[in-house]
Amino acid sequence: MSMTLYHGEPNGPSLAVLATLFAKEVRAELVRIDLGSGQRHGLPCAQEPRVAMSVEGEGPVLVVEGEAMTDSVFIACYLDDVGQGAALRPADPYGRWETMRWCRQVTERTAPAAAYLGCRAHPPRADAALLERIGSVDLRARWEQVTAGRLSDDRLPDCRSKIRQAVENIEARLEARQWLMGAFSIADIESFAWLTGMVALVPAAFVGKPRTRQWLERVRAQPAVAQALSLARSADPAASWSVGPEINRWG
Amino acid sequence: MRSVTLYHWEPNANSGKPMLALMEKGVAFNSHYLDLLNFDQHQPDYLAINPQGTIPAMLHGERVLTESTAIMEYVDEEFPGPRLMPEDPRDRWRVRWWMKLMDQWLGPSFSMIGWKVFVGPAVSSRDPGELEAAIERIPLPERRVAWRKAIYGQFSEEELRESQRRVALGIAMLEQELAKRPWLASNQYSLADINGFNLAYALPLSQPALSNDELTPNTLRWLRAIYARPATKACWAMGRTSMVRRVTILEQPHIGAGHVT
Repeated sequence: MSMTLYHGEPNGPSLAVLATLFAKEVRAELVRIDLGSGQRHGLPCAQEPRVAMSVEGEGPVLVVEGEAMTDSVFIACYLDDVGQGAALRPADPYGRWETMRWCRQVTERTAPAAAYLGCRAHPPRADAALLERIGSVDLRARWEQVTAGRLSDDRLPDCRSKIRQAVENIEARLEARQWLMGAFSIADIESFAWLTGMVALVPAAFVGKPRTRQWLERVRAQPAVAQALSLARSADPAASWSVGPEINRWG
Repeated sequence: MRSVTLYHWEPNANSGKPMLALMEKGVAFNSHYLDLLNFDQHQPDYLAINPQGTIPAMLHGERVLTESTAIMEYVDEEFPGPRLMPEDPRDRWRVRWWMKLMDQWLGPSFSMIGWKVFVGPAVSSRDPGELEAAIERIPLPERRVAWRKAIYGQFSEEELRESQRRVALGIAMLEQELAKRPWLASNQYSLADINGFNLAYALPLSQPALSNDELTPNTLRWLRAIYARPATKACWAMGRTSMVRRVTILEQPHIGAGHVT
């Protein structure tokens, strides 16, 4: 089965998919693209609906036998199904529900806030010609906000609060366990991938959260995560951001 | 055997998803109807079950489950009955991709329009003080914003235009996909179809200029095929409002482009 993974710097959704790929020992051709310049929109599959309309925004694309797949959590589920080694989701349906629910909260509440804060602190430098090719009107609008420096202060309290809530959830969850779902799982990978860059940007969220801090280091030390992070070309991949999911439009 | 209790509103959108999944699997459940328009979901007895105050929630024995799409996956894996997720891992990815698009991109646009025409007017005539108190009891700040906008008709023209744009694009995307295969995400009936039907069952009524047998024949074929299933009929029979009775539009053998009710 031929697979190609187009990925950016190992942060956010690219980090999540790379770490899962390595953890599951799935062989794929790795092709680096600059998500921050909008290079994804120059890919041959860019206009396919499931790439152009991905809710995740500028994330990695896994092409399997000609089908382009997006959304880091669902790619991770796919890799968990087809790969080898330890399962990255619990075996029982309740544990799997907990994992999917957890990841939904991360992608719907944490990820948009993290991407907003990340892009505001470390603006991606878009290539205007590539942005012309964006197929999604609302993704283009988010790009225009970023490139025009129009990420306003109004949203900061809400974004920071969502990061704080995510950390509180993790701290509470880790009271009686090392990993969020008992064993190392997609939930750890996805949560780490979005939050590792928030330690520098929302430091207050991590104050008095010793379990979360130790967990961040445990995840970072996992061989698959370390392997993904070793692909970084910048000094601090956690400072590498591109346009993420939309902040909920109306509640 | 552990009993199943579902806290739900109408067979519509998020409530209808686990209702229909349970019925397709043949799982008997205690139905606990919450009147969304009476703010039952923000009352203390329900908040004790789901502190976020969102509908639906499911009890399975001692277990409390929330998030309708994740509940559907649980229902499919936990109980015997026909499988509602395909075997092939890539098909499963496609099911999840479509459910996310509908849950987080298309659904909120449909519901903004629905709340403006149905939910807002249904509650806005109540006592202003009571309404304000009801809004203040909503746990999630973003849901407070949502309710306030719906009740007081505060959706801007720009917001509504954007929702209508997304609905039109979503209708085109569904039609394009359903031209490729019998069901939305794979060649077998799946959770993506259950999710999609809950979003789109009244499409030819709510968007007659965009969805009808001439413009979107595959979507209409798909909606009728889902409506013909015994589980769907039984599920929609649990509805109490005129909103869900709109489903009967699908009994018409042909819905032309000129159709306006």
